[in-house]
Amino acid sequence: MSFKSAVITFPGSNCDRDALTYLKDLTHGEVFNIWHEESSLPDVDLVILPGGFSFGDYLRSGAMASKSNIIHDVIDHANNGRYLLGICNGFQILTEIGLLKGALIQNKSIKFLGKDCYIKKKFDNKFNCNIKDSEVLQIPVAHNEGNFYCDQETLNYLQNEELIAFEYCRGEDSIDDGNINGSLDNIAGITNKNRNILGMMPHPERAYQDFHVSKDGKKIIESILS
Amino acid sequence: MNDEIILEHGLTLDEFRVIKEYLKRDLTIEELGIFSAMWNEHCCYKTSKKWLKKLPTSNEIVIQGPGENAGIIDVKDNDGIAFKIESHNHPSYIEPFNGAATGVGGILRDIFTMGARPIATLDSIRFGEISTDKTNYLLNGVVHGIGHYGNCIGIPNIGGECEFDQTYDYNNLVNAMAIGHVKNDSIFYSKPKTIGGLIVYIGSKTGKDGIHGASMASDVFSEDDEDEKRPSVQVGDPFMEKLLMEGCLELMSSGLIESMQDMGAAGITSSSVEMASKGNVGVHINLDKVPLRQPLTPYEILLSESQERMLAVIEKDNNEKIREILKKWQIDYEVIGEITNTKRVVFSSNEKIVVDLPVDIIVDDAPEYDREFSLPKKRNQRNFDTSKLNIEKMISNYMNNLNYLDKSWVYNQYDSTVMGDTIKEPGQSAGVVKIHNTEKAIGASTDCNPLYIRINPEKGMIYTVLEAYRNLIASNIKPMAITNNLNFASPLDPNIMGEIVLSISGLSDIAKKLDTPIVSGNVSLYNQTNDRPIDPTPVIGMVGCNSNWKKILQNKFIKKNDELLLLGKSLGGDFSPYFLQDQKIISSICEFNELLAPDIDLEIKTAKFIQEAAEKDLIQSSNDISRGGIFMSLIKMTQKNLGFSIKVNDEKDIFCEYNAGYILAIDQKNKEEVFSMLYKDQINFLSLGQVKLNTFEINSKKFNYSDMMDMYYKNFYKLIN
Repeated sequence: MSFKSAVITFPGSNCDRDALTYLKDLTHGEVFNIWHEESSLPDVDLVILPGGFSFGDYLRSGAMASKSNIIHDVIDHANNGRYLLGICNGFQILTEIGLLKGALIQNKSIKFLGKDCYIKKKFDNKFNCNIKDSEVLQIPVAHNEGNFYCDQETLNYLQNEELIAFEYCRGEDSIDDGNINGSLDNIAGITNKNRNILGMMPHPERAYQDFHVSKDGKKIIESILS
Repeated sequence: MNDEIILEHGLTLDEFRVIKEYLKRDLTIEELGIFSAMWNEHCCYKTSKKWLKKLPTSNEIVIQGPGENAGIIDVKDNDGIAFKIESHNHPSYIEPFNGAATGVGGILRDIFTMGARPIATLDSIRFGEISTDKTNYLLNGVVHGIGHYGNCIGIPNIGGECEFDQTYDYNNLVNAMAIGHVKNDSIFYSKPKTIGGLIVYIGSKTGKDGIHGASMASDVFSEDDEDEKRPSVQVGDPFMEKLLMEGCLELMSSGLIESMQDMGAAGITSSSVEMASKGNVGVHINLDKVPLRQPLTPYEILLSESQERMLAVIEKDNNEKIREILKKWQIDYEVIGEITNTKRVVFSSNEKIVVDLPVDIIVDDAPEYDREFSLPKKRNQRNFDTSKLNIEKMISNYMNNLNYLDKSWVYNQYDSTVMGDTIKEPGQSAGVVKIHNTEKAIGASTDCNPLYIRINPEKGMIYTVLEAYRNLIASNIKPMAITNNLNFASPLDPNIMGEIVLSISGLSDIAKKLDTPIVSGNVSLYNQTNDRPIDPTPVIGMVGCNSNWKKILQNKFIKKNDELLLLGKSLGGDFSPYFLQDQKIISSICEFNELLAPDIDLEIKTAKFIQEAAEKDLIQSSNDISRGGIFMSLIKMTQKNLGFSIKVNDEKDIFCEYNAGYILAIDQKNKEEVFSMLYKDQINFLSLGQVKLNTFEINSKKFNYSDMMDMYYKNFYKLIN
């Protein structure tokens, strides 16, 4: 059975093409591009909510997209235990839907941040199972609201249930502690309790080709396929 | 019509007399508005046209030269590259965030109007002394604005320049450049083809923003202008532009439209007049049909510079299909007029004709001035005493000067990797992106050396172009064409007019010698507040290609023990303007020696060698030498604990500027082959030393590697806060 996947495009999505290319190049299976007004998803193994500024970040990042037509089917898809990956604005949309805990607030620097960051795996799940505990991944970020925040109770829950997938860390040429945006507990990505939904701020689809800063972004798709 | 109204519209009384004699009647206020918009410097180049005509604008790779929304060059296999640079200086000083943001929005529209998908942006920004709160406010606003617009739309910013100098205290410069990819058989032009074709309005509703923006940009500021002129600054909405871009590209690829023109400076007036003029046809537009955000008079509709709007010509049959596509993108769409055979521009409102003018008089009879200019005085030659400088002092002078430090504070606010095709990000000599789904790499660099141009506009301009050329060569990109943004003060001053004339002449010379024609551009004059003119700042954006992205050279060291070679010829301490200025040896412009003649033959010969060696994979990485000399070039090459150890005869020489200067890092195993190529080509070179781990060593003097990295990467943050 070949692996099938889909990328949802909202008005203002700008990493949808990147996500499509990433999936085509790495899964070698069929990849669908779905417009947000569609009412149903094709039968796929993985859905990506891509980065961008869906609906111009109107109200809050991800808020409008979380009410789009297609979202009902995206929730069903996830409730059936299939994989759902939200990258950057996609992560913001997942927290707005309520599929993931917490919220992404403005970066501590109060500025947009476009640079490479370093992350490592925190707790094991299907999205990072091919990555070694000690491995440091170099992956670009590009966001204005990437500062993960939640109340203490939720934070305890995420830690105790081992739902933190990735955390920011220092890299070999870091000139600071590596927590680029002020996220609580250096959180760069979390999953739901069932561990089939991942939201992450770094862009793995910008780190897999020969000319990219690294090929570390490959490891997420490789983990899912493994 | 009284003189006061005419002068308020930026026309001279002589210009008005010409119009009236031609029409043999009085003008309506709307018609006066049109002349005000079309006959200002920004739209009709009345001061610079005579000189711009001298620029080389075509060769076998030029598909579209100046005159359209953007220039286009051929990079083979039906791939074309559209690009242009444009200024938003005046609006960015008055309202930095929106001024800069709409600068990016405007230049992106110029690109996708031609049917090209934008693939990269660059910028060139200049501010006054950072010590003032005003500069800090402008810097923050401008960088935020450029970032916000480009990041939202999702076009990577791949490079640029950012300079601080007191000459820009009261007039900052914001130039934005965009590059797009188009299939050569699918280019769209602004020329309409069908008489009776419908003129359609696509995009945001029209509001009061930006009325008289273009004529404001053609005027000198006075100090109390700031608040008064703020309503002339447009407000941008990048989300709307993203929808507009996707909508327009979809319309173009489905073959439903005939021609397109963006509503930029002078809004619907300039876009419809240009359309009529290009097609040698007439237009009739009903202003009542224009989608409005608020009630506006016909005069206001004509002059509004509301953003994110397009004008297109379509065949009647396609009307409904187009409406359907744009509905998906939630974009306003309205038929507002038609193409006529009258060769007149007619606007009506409330069943009354408010404008009825022959296209000829607006475009062809636009004034062209041959302004008086003077040539710079001859300079005396002298030697300077640099005996007080030691290496520590020289390093400290550069490391405490914003212009030499890493600008990640700026470019980290830009998304440089969206679209997934970025090969070289900002902070390197040139930005490089891959054309999606091909092996081709497109590189670009924006540059200007205002100090050189002030000393000698003609030679200084040649140095400026050669610096951009070296930036591309150091990445192994073949330089192909140029876009220019001529920022100057008031041309009414003969000295400044002289700078304009001579720098265009220098640009023309060097573009011919390098066979890199000028395919698009922009002129921004009157960058002056009262009697304080800016230094001449003609910025260029140079674009080139390598058909195989795998051959692109990075600027950073790759591995330890690689040999460091120095190519080029030092200008020497007495003839390196930035060295003399920034090591604080000279403070007055009249003291500099005449610029040495640029060595163009050496530049071309060296470039050929680097391209040949890079194609044979003999070079690990390379960087060009510019402001700050060998020293700054090397520090920019450091990364991930890789430093260097070098030996030179004269320590001062590592801070000087160069002709054809490059640093190459070569694998030891390739040394002999590279040396023999250099001997064969008769290119002088010097073995400087090696790449070394955690080392920063000059003539056996060891500096602490992490301290140097800290200074280079962190001092900018410290100095601006």
